[in-house]
Amino acid sequence: MALLIQALITGLLMGGVYAAYSSGFSLIFGVMNIVNIFHGELIMIGAFTTYWLYTLYHIDPFLTLPLSIISAGVIGYVIQRFVINRVVEAPPMMSYLCTFGIHLILGNLALLLWSADFRTVTTSYSGIGFSLGPVTIPIARLITFLIAICTTFGVYLFLEKARYGKAIRAASQDKETARLVGIDIKKVYALTFAIGAAITGLAGGLISTHFVIYPQMGLPYTIIAFCVVVLGGMGYIPGALVGGLLLGVIQSLTATYLSSGLSIAITFILLFIILVLKPRGIMGKGIVE
Amino acid sequence: MRKHAVWLAVFFALLLVPAFKLEGYYYRTLSMIFLWIGLASAWNLTSGFTGYIDFGAVAYFGIGNYATALSMTKAGVPFFPAIMISGLLSGMVALFIGRYTMKLRGAYFGIATLAFAEAASQIVLEFDRTFHVTIFEGSHGITLPIAHDETFFYYTFLIVAALIVFIAFLTDRNKFGYALKAIKEAENSAELAGIDTQRCKVSVYAVTGVMIGVLGGINAYWLTYISPLDVFSVTHTIHMIIMALFGGIGTVFGPVIGAVVLSLANETLGARLLYTYLLMLGVILVVVVIFLPGGFIGLLSFRRFRK
Repeated sequence: MALLIQALITGLLMGGVYAAYSSGFSLIFGVMNIVNIFHGELIMIGAFTTYWLYTLYHIDPFLTLPLSIISAGVIGYVIQRFVINRVVEAPPMMSYLCTFGIHLILGNLALLLWSADFRTVTTSYSGIGFSLGPVTIPIARLITFLIAICTTFGVYLFLEKARYGKAIRAASQDKETARLVGIDIKKVYALTFAIGAAITGLAGGLISTHFVIYPQMGLPYTIIAFCVVVLGGMGYIPGALVGGLLLGVIQSLTATYLSSGLSIAITFILLFIILVLKPRGIMGKGIVE
Repeated sequence: MRKHAVWLAVFFALLLVPAFKLEGYYYRTLSMIFLWIGLASAWNLTSGFTGYIDFGAVAYFGIGNYATALSMTKAGVPFFPAIMISGLLSGMVALFIGRYTMKLRGAYFGIATLAFAEAASQIVLEFDRTFHVTIFEGSHGITLPIAHDETFFYYTFLIVAALIVFIAFLTDRNKFGYALKAIKEAENSAELAGIDTQRCKVSVYAVTGVMIGVLGGINAYWLTYISPLDVFSVTHTIHMIIMALFGGIGTVFGPVIGAVVLSLANETLGARLLYTYLLMLGVILVVVVIFLPGGFIGLLSFRRFRK
């Protein structure tokens, strides 16, 4: 029983981080209809920003999160502004071949710069947790979880309430009319991409505090992001939260009771079933192409 | 028509090459080029013609490799029946996967297939350890018997690759091919025009699966040693995509040109500077998508058009 509760808590804590970076993925898809295959590389960039600042200057990983946000956000903005904007109106096939190319460029550039070594950020409080009856909750993971959940809510509120958020929603709902009322679509796209990338960079920084990081870590995270947003509904931000938590729990239960090596396989089977049975996601509010 | 005669002449010339008794290295390089011509053309048949970009094509290559390796080592099946099994099994898996994934549009299809390939790789890698059996041998890989000389593989690859290109050539000109292209241009209109789009997509996907599976089977016997991380490597899919795109996606001979150029680039650069090479592939992909969506063949026909 304690094992089950522990697995559930571990899954929820991980699921929060999934939710945060998947909401970035969902935002980019919802607005531009672009499936961002280099999403995982943005996580890697956020994680390595934290790693280098910690290793070289010994700054606490939670304090450097703003820099993870900025580095991934700026890279996202630049790529969107100068590369993806050129194919955003082309058939969708072209835009995701393009993001696939960027995935190769960023991943291999990182390999050339930093080698394929596995790295960790080990702080004084790594591995310390508090007990709650029979289960242990690691402090770093709990803080991570709280920041991730707040971020996801923040994005949701921004889209609902802020002026720019409304412009983004207008652009995603009806591009032509948005243009007519004076919204600069290309600017909105670049901004959306920057926001999506920034959240993802933040999640990368959070991930570095308790997971191994390496230049090629991106692809599995991209697949997870896709699975999360398919579960919750593509382009629907609250869906990312539900999907993220659910997937975190499922993976944790798989790792506890079956084999941690099979987590991607389980993720895929789940993805497959949802795509076939409920393509709009479990809450039925996603966008279907 | 003269243009096609050139390709036919190249094929007959290649049939005669072994008469010159070249060094083994040349046979291996040429065999590798034929393998990639086959893979890129097979990939192009589904993804190039219908516009459904398959990011998980390597799954069928891996299945083909393992089907031949297992039936030869565990069941003592001879080589040719073994590659038939590879093709059949890959085709059946593709039929099953295609039935569901082909209902998905665009990127949904892309990521679903990518995830399928990653899952297949993980299952082969972890199956034995998880269920305490010895079937796939996990990361140890499988060693196959060594039997044939280089010319045997040279001819096998050459003929299979030529057959695949020939099938693509025929498809480009028959009703089935027109249906596939109609799906790429406007799927809903194609359906209104009376094309059973789902049936067409799944059929062509299964055919691609058979082709890639057979090539995988030959590959296993050729290399004599396979492991999940090698034969299920996502790099193989990347190569198929980039070769087709570089040469001219959706054309018959584009993937052939792309395969020749990029196999040679891989042979000279990929072996020594893998990361630089993959980085370069990424740059090619982005540049081709933005500036040259028709690929090399598109560039040629554009020139001719302007004259």
